[in-house]
Amino acid sequence: MSDYKKTIGIEIHCELNSNTKIFSNSINGYGKTANSNVNVVDLGYPGVLPTLNMEVIRLALKAALILNCEINKEMHFDRKNYFYPDNPKNYQITQLETPIGVNGWVEIEVNGQKKKIRIHDIHIEEDTCKSIHYKHHSFLDFNRAGVPLVEIVTEADITSSEEAMAYVEKLRELFLYADVSDCKIEEGSMRCDVNISISKTDEWGTRAEIKNIGSISNVGRAIEREAIRQEELIENGGSVVFATYRYDEKEDKTIMMRVKEAGNDYRYFPEPDIPFVVIDDNFIEDVRKSIPMLASERREKYVLAGISELNANKIIQNRSLSNYLNRFLDKDIDLVVASNLLLGDIAGYLNKTGALIDNTKLNDEKFITVVTKLSKGDINSKVFKDILDDLMESDSSVDEIISSKGIKIISDPNELKNIISTILSNNENSVNDYKSGNERAIKFLMGQIMKETKGSANPELVNKLLLEELNK
Amino acid sequence: MSDKLTREEVLHVARLARIELNEEEIEKYQVQLKTLFNEVDKIKNVELKSDNKLIAPVMHTTKLREDVAGEMLEPEEIMKNVPVSNGNFVEVPVMINE
Repeated sequence: MSDYKKTIGIEIHCELNSNTKIFSNSINGYGKTANSNVNVVDLGYPGVLPTLNMEVIRLALKAALILNCEINKEMHFDRKNYFYPDNPKNYQITQLETPIGVNGWVEIEVNGQKKKIRIHDIHIEEDTCKSIHYKHHSFLDFNRAGVPLVEIVTEADITSSEEAMAYVEKLRELFLYADVSDCKIEEGSMRCDVNISISKTDEWGTRAEIKNIGSISNVGRAIEREAIRQEELIENGGSVVFATYRYDEKEDKTIMMRVKEAGNDYRYFPEPDIPFVVIDDNFIEDVRKSIPMLASERREKYVLAGISELNANKIIQNRSLSNYLNRFLDKDIDLVVASNLLLGDIAGYLNKTGALIDNTKLNDEKFITVVTKLSKGDINSKVFKDILDDLMESDSSVDEIISSKGIKIISDPNELKNIISTILSNNENSVNDYKSGNERAIKFLMGQIMKETKGSANPELVNKLLLEELNK
Repeated sequence: MSDKLTREEVLHVARLARIELNEEEIEKYQVQLKTLFNEVDKIKNVELKSDNKLIAPVMHTTKLREDVAGEMLEPEEIMKNVPVSNGNFVEVPVMINE
């Protein structure tokens, strides 16, 4: 884009992973039969009162702590009044004045550059019912009504579509790892609204809000399209209208939905049905302690152990594999070999069988033994493939499995020396090549030995003995 | 200060409440709503001796509920109170693009 600068702020709604809804004890569940997870509170029947779910406060607090926020220890809820069929009470219970967390930040990285995105606030609110529009009718499903949400609002610190995507991805990773939300953008449990304006000066332009963008890549595309639309408008003498848009993926453009109403039309006031909520320091510390190791810390530890950044990221994308690997971080094993196994043959096995690694028979002891054998060269990757199914499915030890398969690992130096002498005398040309300085000849000779032993020789030992023989 | 709201103010409030008013009602509410707003203003102008905000008519803090599921309604039960339903769904006139 030309000399216009983008100014972007993002609002993200995340559904929280509680068992029940925020203000009622009906089930918080997605995709069930329509209107089956509903009670009188969710439907706003006359005379009902909200009861605040403890788990929602715990999860929202966890999210606020992860986002490095200051915590409002005494908070209340507010009513946002509006008439719309998605909310039969005619108001949404949210937090305006005392959000649970304020003044936080999230660090993102784009093209090797780290940047802090400031969080204005994170507040708790209830979701509305889901409306399906068809011709002149809307069909309402109240299973989603009262599902707990946190809304995370950034400052307008984001200046490119890449930063916006990195921010959404980072938030998703944080919440997924902390078990705050399942963050499924496609299913609507994480929803992104993007505010964007462009300007040639330091003064911000009029912003447009793009609502409910359905994937992380579309966040990037929608920003690019909207910036071009605004630039063309301004360059042709027009001006941007303060309005709400949606991004149409098929047409790759932003479409205006409605001109924004003023905030005070919502006539916010403190929710009188829910007295002050007070959280104490002990509760905050308990929640802080419950935060598991987050993705960025895992990545650091993996890279420090010698795992490539690419593989570290691959493991982090699979939380159960990452949790599994973490059990061995302080054990004396080669974590590079361990990660290669997990991402390679073991991931292949899990994909094929649909099993979770924790439900297999690959206990800590077996994993440590097999990784050690591989890294010492007592077995090679071919043998590992042969014993994999048994490792995952049988109660036998690694040694029992290896011997039951009739696999023999030749680690006896004398036996190997005999084989090596035979190979050397059969391949005099290669021996001479090596002696005249052709280092590559050794690879050929290694290959011949492994072929002779059908891959059952300890490769490190063979290499050592072969060099000894050649350099005699 | 005028003793009634403007016509536009009444219509704005009516729109927020999604109700339709006839001419007679608009004139009536211009006066009646103004009386009501004046009372609210009296409360707004009260001088407070303390910053302590009271949001609920009780002094205690909120007791939090355990995250355990309770009884829910059957969809058929819900639909008995719904003017128009379609299968398990509540049906209403479409409200987008107003």
